Formats: sequence, C-alpha cells, structure tokens
Amino acid sequence: MATTATLTLASSDIAGDPVNVTKVATLTKADSTNDLDQSSGLNRVHLRSTTQKTLLSASATNRTPGDNKAGKVYLINKSDDASLYVTVSINAQTVGKLYGGDFLFIPWSQTDASANIKVAATNWTSSTGDIPIEYALFHEDQDFLTNA
Amino acid sequence: MATTIASINLTSTDLLSDSLSVSAIATLTGAGNSTGLTLTGGLGRKKLASGHAQYTLFDGDAYANGAHKIYLKNTSTTATEYFTIEINSEQMGKLYAGDWAFFPWEANADTNDIKIDPSADDMTLEYMIFIDE
Repeated sequence: MATTATLTLASSDIAGDPVNVTKVATLTKADSTNDLDQSSGLNRVHLRSTTQKTLLSASATNRTPGDNKAGKVYLINKSDDASLYVTVSINAQTVGKLYGGDFLFIPWSQTDASANIKVAATNWTSSTGDIPIEYALFHEDQDFLTNA
Repeated sequence: MATTIASINLTSTDLLSDSLSVSAIATLTGAGNSTGLTLTGGLGRKKLASGHAQYTLFDGDAYANGAHKIYLKNTSTTATEYFTIEINSEQMGKLYAGDWAFFPWEANADTNDIKIDPSADDMTLEYMIFIDE
C-alpha cells in the first residue's frame, strides 16, 4: 500500500553550479516500515474571506505528547495570481504564506491537541476573486482526525 | 533573477481503489511578485551527535520577513528515528527516517525559529533554504 512523495528542486542559475535535488519518500507509519494506509483524498475548497479557517482539525482526545502517529499534509494555492496568498498556521503559529502556485508538504503529528492546521486568505478582497486551494492528508489511525 | 523550480509528485497504486497521482510545479518567487528568488543557503547537512538537544536550524532573527522556502530531510534509515520539527514553540510534526518536508517560512518574527530535535544520537538532517531578500 505504498504511497510515495517525490520532491525535485532545480535551478540552473541560483548558484554558481546547478541545483538539482530529487528525493523520494515512502510514506510510512510512525516508528515502522509499514505504509500509511489512510487518506482524506484530494480536497478542493475556495477561500473567499480573510477570516482564518480550520482546514484540518487536530484530535482533542487522541493525541498526547509521545503518542507517535505519522501524518503528512499536502497543500497548494491554486491561484494563478502570484500576489494572492494563503497564510498557513498551526495552532496560533504562522508557518508561512503560500503564494499563487506554491505548495507545501509537511509532517503533522498532532502531538499538540490544539495543533489545527488553519488557513486564511489574508489579502483577499471581493475584487480579487476566490483563492482555490487543494489539500490532502495521508495518515494512520482512524482517530487521527476528529472529523475522520 | 534566478529561476528555481520545485515540483512534487504524490503517487500510489494501492492506497485507494483508483490510482493516485498528484503533481504540482512551483516557481519559487518573492513575496507577492513573480521575481525569482536569488539567494540560497545551499544544500547542507547537520549531524547532531549527542544529547538529543533541540537545535535552532534557522534563526528567525537572521532573516527578513519574506517568502522563504525550506527543505528538510531525515537521512536516517532506521524507522524509529525521527526529527521533531518546531516553529517557535509550536510543533509541526515528526520527520521519520527517509521523510522530507518542503514548506514556506515567513520569518515574520524574531522568535519564529525553525528548530529540530533528534530522537537519537548521531542523526543527520539534510536541509536547504531559498531566501527572499
């Protein structure tokens, strides 16, 4: 039940020599070589508010520090407008801004029960139009999400 | 202006009842513009020898608020070995053996350090930052 994630970073001119990094990860359960076996599927939503929204809810009951579970989050801003961004936060901590076309792929362990992944279309206005985002969660343990 | 491309492919033939194939390509640009990022810290490795102590990999104080991009990889091949990744004091998640992460980093506060905490001695993290001036 292998799911693989491949990242390539390439540039011919950001440094004196080319950058060409390719890494492949097989998504596995915590402390194990067994494959992750659950997924939220690929979701798509349109953001049309500057209000912060909870995209993925951490379990309030199942996660405790040291309770190792593996999860991976993929998130992409599908806007064609490079100036439109989505601010991504975990709990109250800003991770960064995904500008149009940008993506992230991060581990999400939810060892903090408040570690919801939140998004906000911070510079959205009624004239910018919606900001579409797509996301997927790969995980183990049926209780990994409160809404799973 | 430099041109740096980040691409991702997520694939599985058996996780779902249909094949999964998700691909995306991003050109790494500055905040709110289409100008390619021009600075990088280069590809580096950090070996944390002992003590399992938390280590500040990127200091928020050393970078301007911008559209930086971070790449991290746990080079371990032992499944039980992981790096805990934190921003400021909020835990993002655990990067298990062979896993990589790629994410934007705003460095919008001096305290927004990216910290790593190995679960065992002598673990090595590979990393790279693309910097928005």
